[in-house]
Amino acid sequence: MPLISDLLFEARAVAQNLAEYASGPHIRLGVTGLSRAGKTVFITALVEHLTKAARPSLRGRRNPLPVFRVLADGRLLGGALEPQPDDAVPRFAYEDHVAALTGPNGRVEDRHWPQSTRRISELRLRLDFEQKSGMRPGRHSLAIDIVDYPGEWLLDLPLLSKSFAQWSRETFIASAGAARAPLAAQWRGYTVNTDPRAKANEDDARRAAELFTNYLRACRADDYSFSSLPPGRFLMPGDLEGSPALTFVPLAVEEGEIYAPDSLAAMMERRFEAYKAHVVKPFFRDHFARLDRQIVLVDALAALNAGPAAMRDLETAITDVLTAFRAGRGGLLSTLFRPKIDKILFAATKADHLHHTSHDRLEAILRHLTARAIARVETVGAEVDVIALAAVRATREAKVNGHGEPALDAVIGTPLDQERIGDEVFDGKTEAAIFPGELPSDPKRVFAGGPLAVLANQIDYRFVRFRPPIPARGEDGAPFPPPHIRLDRALQFLLGDKLT
Amino acid sequence: MQPDQRRPPRAFRLDDLNQSFAGSASEKPRGPVVIEAARDPFEAEAEALMAARDIDEEAVEEAQQRGIVARSLFSWAGLFWSAAGGLVTLAMGLWLTKLVDDLFARAPAFGAIGLVLASLAGLALFVLAAREIAGVLRQRHIADLHAGLARARETDDFKEARRRIGELASLYAGRPETSIARAELRQHAHEIVDGRDLIDIAERTLVMPLDLDVEREIARAAKRVSVVTALAPKAFIDVIFVAAQAIRLIRRIAVIYGGRPGLFGFFKLLRSIGAHIAITGGMAAGDSLIQQLLGHGLAAKLSARLGEGVLNGLLTARVGLSAMAVCRPMPFASSRAPGVNDVAPFLFSKPDAKS
Repeated sequence: MPLISDLLFEARAVAQNLAEYASGPHIRLGVTGLSRAGKTVFITALVEHLTKAARPSLRGRRNPLPVFRVLADGRLLGGALEPQPDDAVPRFAYEDHVAALTGPNGRVEDRHWPQSTRRISELRLRLDFEQKSGMRPGRHSLAIDIVDYPGEWLLDLPLLSKSFAQWSRETFIASAGAARAPLAAQWRGYTVNTDPRAKANEDDARRAAELFTNYLRACRADDYSFSSLPPGRFLMPGDLEGSPALTFVPLAVEEGEIYAPDSLAAMMERRFEAYKAHVVKPFFRDHFARLDRQIVLVDALAALNAGPAAMRDLETAITDVLTAFRAGRGGLLSTLFRPKIDKILFAATKADHLHHTSHDRLEAILRHLTARAIARVETVGAEVDVIALAAVRATREAKVNGHGEPALDAVIGTPLDQERIGDEVFDGKTEAAIFPGELPSDPKRVFAGGPLAVLANQIDYRFVRFRPPIPARGEDGAPFPPPHIRLDRALQFLLGDKLT
Repeated sequence: MQPDQRRPPRAFRLDDLNQSFAGSASEKPRGPVVIEAARDPFEAEAEALMAARDIDEEAVEEAQQRGIVARSLFSWAGLFWSAAGGLVTLAMGLWLTKLVDDLFARAPAFGAIGLVLASLAGLALFVLAAREIAGVLRQRHIADLHAGLARARETDDFKEARRRIGELASLYAGRPETSIARAELRQHAHEIVDGRDLIDIAERTLVMPLDLDVEREIARAAKRVSVVTALAPKAFIDVIFVAAQAIRLIRRIAVIYGGRPGLFGFFKLLRSIGAHIAITGGMAAGDSLIQQLLGHGLAAKLSARLGEGVLNGLLTARVGLSAMAVCRPMPFASSRAPGVNDVAPFLFSKPDAKS
């Protein structure tokens, strides 16, 4: 059976790909990132810049994307949102997200980051540009397909290659770690007393699944910021809330042992497989199996705040997730039948939270964090780059002098309500200059150390989150695209070679 | 920073700076806190970038595209020359076989000698053609390097800069006088130096000495041309002399920058230089043409021949500068591109200063 379904899977992917190839030049950009990495904001900023960059109202202003060559050369004629190819998927609510960032109904005080994404959505962006080189110079267009989805769901991709017993074992090992054990205690206590050979009972299953879900939720809290928490739909069920596909838990089962069909273990295994077949696989097939370019957004700052255990966990999660993708150098045949990701950009998001002098260190940390994933994709010939990025820049930079000390490199912005640094709690209204501390020059140091966050008075760094910037508006009242850090470099890396 | 002077994270409110002072270390303020707005580094970078994409550099790349790196797969002129060349080759072959046959018919010894000579000629032709192709490819490689370094410097690309600098160093591997600069560059490439800085270092240490050589060559050629024009008894002599000097100067410059132009390479180079002069002609009008005319006027007042000499010298210097821009393996980045005034100041000095 798995062979046939795999064949069907491939055949569908090939058919979809050929259909799209015939419909004109396009690129599928995979925006990959765990939850809260900033996918929605990145996509919104990208669309905002690319659709507005070539407008006459922006001409004469400073070019906001100097590194993006097609624009700097003056060859970008325009960008527009187009009807997406997939009618079954909701459209990316771009206008709502822009309104959220700039303040709904023009009320700047109400500006806020977009809510966390609860369901999948899609958009297609068409860029018109003047081709400079190649066989046919002149006006061309390129369609860019982008998918936004809850980052939690990404954690499911590694499950595709795992059996129920294997997943159970790994989950138990992970939950026994020093940092997670206290959070997992209740669920583990319940599960230890459950015999996998016992007759299946829906009440028990529901109770266990509830405890398991609570454990996963607890791990996500800011103080811990763990990332590797499959299955993702437990955290963000979407339209599957309460479905039996979501009431399964890992059990202490033996690998290779056959359990009676009516036993608890057999039921859980059935549900696990159903989850893979009906939830994870379609998600992967429809949105990730055919990517051309990929940007991996990593919120390293939240994990840095939470300590070394969270950093190591993030490393595991990212590496696991990325093994699901096909990377490699593309040829003509592979573009037709089996597209591969030939360029991957790793971006440490929210780079505006620290001073630009620290960006090199942040990049070094990200490079270290993704070292295994980078090594894997580089051996198959894909191009890789690592940058510190802020799709929407919420701060400006300043130097703080005083107290007879050397000047501190600080960033100025409006911290979010309830954000704390030291004893100071912010109210989300006042601006403050924040010196977030210094990242170590040796990236290994942020991964080494005890499981628990260090004491408050010993921390070397603490990153607070800021509110979105107050938008600058043109004469017609429409907001300009938001400021950014290195978004142009990211665009050039991901799209530049298709826009020559 | 040393671990013993750890600086903890802190926050300074902007609304009530001097009363509220918060930090994880609660200490007494030892003075007022002053927050200075810093110049935005990203804006500065963007501005530098827009400035870096200057028209001079674009002119050079455009010129290189039209000549050195032009690789059109098909053109009617190309088709004509290929077809005509093929016919000529066939005719030559026919004539050659006939000749050898006749020689053999007359005496076998003559035939053998003819055959040997023909094969020697063929061998030499083959080597010449190979050298031609190598020369063209080398010049194209230098132009590629130019564009690549410009791109890497513009985007401050760490990896790309290292790769291109390696290529640049290997271009001059056969020149003993550059060995110190190359060793220094190799060392810098292993250290943590930004891509842009590395390229600037390469320009300063490796390419700048070559620039000085080139400028000297241009100055010498300009001087020679102006003197010969002023003294030459017949007009066509100085025309030939100017042309010969220009050709010699262009070859010299290409060789100094590591190229080896043969005949076809030289034609391609010439086309690029022509394009460069055409593109930058309008720009040059602003700075030097006025002076040029002015200088010409002053000199012409003294003597018509002298005025022509100055004008021809200027022309040669102009060709030399265009050749310099087009042949240089990297853009003028940290240094400024020299103008006519820099390489041939003697053409501009006022009559009173001259005397």
